[in-house]
Amino acid sequence: MTLTRTYAAVLLVALASAAAAAFSTRAQSPISPQIPQQPTPPPAQVPQPAVRPAPPQSARAVIFLDPAHGGPENGAALGNNLAEKDVTLAFAQRLRAALASANFTVITTRDNDLAAPLPTDQRAEVANHAHALACVVVHATASGAGVHLYTSSLPPAPLYETSGTDATTPFTPTPWEFAQAGFVDQSHKLSDVLKATLAKASLPVITGNAPLRPLDNLMCPAVAVEIAPNSASVSASDTAYQQQIVFAVATAMQLWRDQNTGGAH
Amino acid sequence: MIPRYQRILFWSLALAILLMAIFLLHGCQQAREKLNRLQNQTPLAAPAETAPETFHLAMASDADNSIAMVDRQLALATEPTARMRALLAQLIAEYSYKNSAHPLASGPAIDDVFLLDLPLKPATSTNPSNPAGTPPGESAFASGAPHSPGGQLAVINLSAAFADHHPSGIEAETLTINSMVGTLFANFPRIEQVRFVVNGQPRDTLAGHADLTRTYQAVNTTTGGAQ
Repeated sequence: MTLTRTYAAVLLVALASAAAAAFSTRAQSPISPQIPQQPTPPPAQVPQPAVRPAPPQSARAVIFLDPAHGGPENGAALGNNLAEKDVTLAFAQRLRAALASANFTVITTRDNDLAAPLPTDQRAEVANHAHALACVVVHATASGAGVHLYTSSLPPAPLYETSGTDATTPFTPTPWEFAQAGFVDQSHKLSDVLKATLAKASLPVITGNAPLRPLDNLMCPAVAVEIAPNSASVSASDTAYQQQIVFAVATAMQLWRDQNTGGAH
Repeated sequence: MIPRYQRILFWSLALAILLMAIFLLHGCQQAREKLNRLQNQTPLAAPAETAPETFHLAMASDADNSIAMVDRQLALATEPTARMRALLAQLIAEYSYKNSAHPLASGPAIDDVFLLDLPLKPATSTNPSNPAGTPPGESAFASGAPHSPGGQLAVINLSAAFADHHPSGIEAETLTINSMVGTLFANFPRIEQVRFVVNGQPRDTLAGHADLTRTYQAVNTTTGGAQ
């Protein structure tokens, strides 16, 4: 659908009081420029198309955290009766505290275990309403080693959010399955920042693309962080190991905020 | 002295036993002949000699999240779906070997493989809200994805036991999916799209992470290949 606008012209008529004799004299004489000048209003401003207001630069940056699984959905079994849902929740709570102390607003999908499983579509809805600076989906596994960073495997596409913001651009709805496509490039950049800070903390890092929900449905720069054992003796649930990762991720988020807001926060 | 009636009875019984034995032997012989006749009528295809060929397997490694192509000499059936099934079964079987770089549980993994010509023709639907007859969960991307003339969609029916016992994790599941897709891409050029079902039914994820509801493009999944 193409939006078109039409604008009406405005004719201003100024009436001045005059005696009957003077009016008849002036009416018979040619038009002269001595007509008393009335203050004219400034030219009417051409209405501009509505533009989506940009978020104020002074607003606190929002980070979306999604500890995966929960409720009856345990996720991977990490040994010693430890479920993935418990490890992701513990890590997310630590990360949330670190981000809040760095002046971020943190939105999470869960603060405790759930009574019922939370579908990935609902998790994505929460994230997309938050307009987050970055979205982090937390997973844990017993296989592999170190920290695995995954971005969406969708091919990059033009940013859907910019369409339809003026009268000449037709509005294009964003398909739910490809919501992340417009943010894939930014997600790769966010993954690079995370990789650099994790490597600086001497943590082994593996990056890649994965067909993972809700990653594909997020309209924000999004990365899935999967915590694998650091070594044979350090499991994914190790507190010190998690704290190392939390510090690196929080540092990466501050760098990401500086890159995207020019340090204005 | 044996009475006469007893001798008559004895010989009568002996005769009856003899007749029954003859009848039994005749019946057995008839049954055997009938069985042999049925077996002989079974059409038996002459065994075909299949020469070993070189196939490419996209082998995954958990250590560095990589997939590398390796060659194997295998003698497989000529029928395409049987060939694909055997090749994927060989791939999964290699993951169950000791010291595998991507360890998976042993056991049957692939129940069936089906091939469909692209583009898929929508089924006739009586549902007014779904006039195209697109199955639930089938995205516009899946049905409208680009394909070449003569391209095919491979539907891989995984066994429920394989999916249930697969290691859970983004890396492990993604590598398994990419390994199978990469193997099909390397050996069957007509296959352009791949879908997975488990036990004949759609399933959300392989083991809690990798999305099985989408249609995968058959691409080179080796490390450094187009993802």
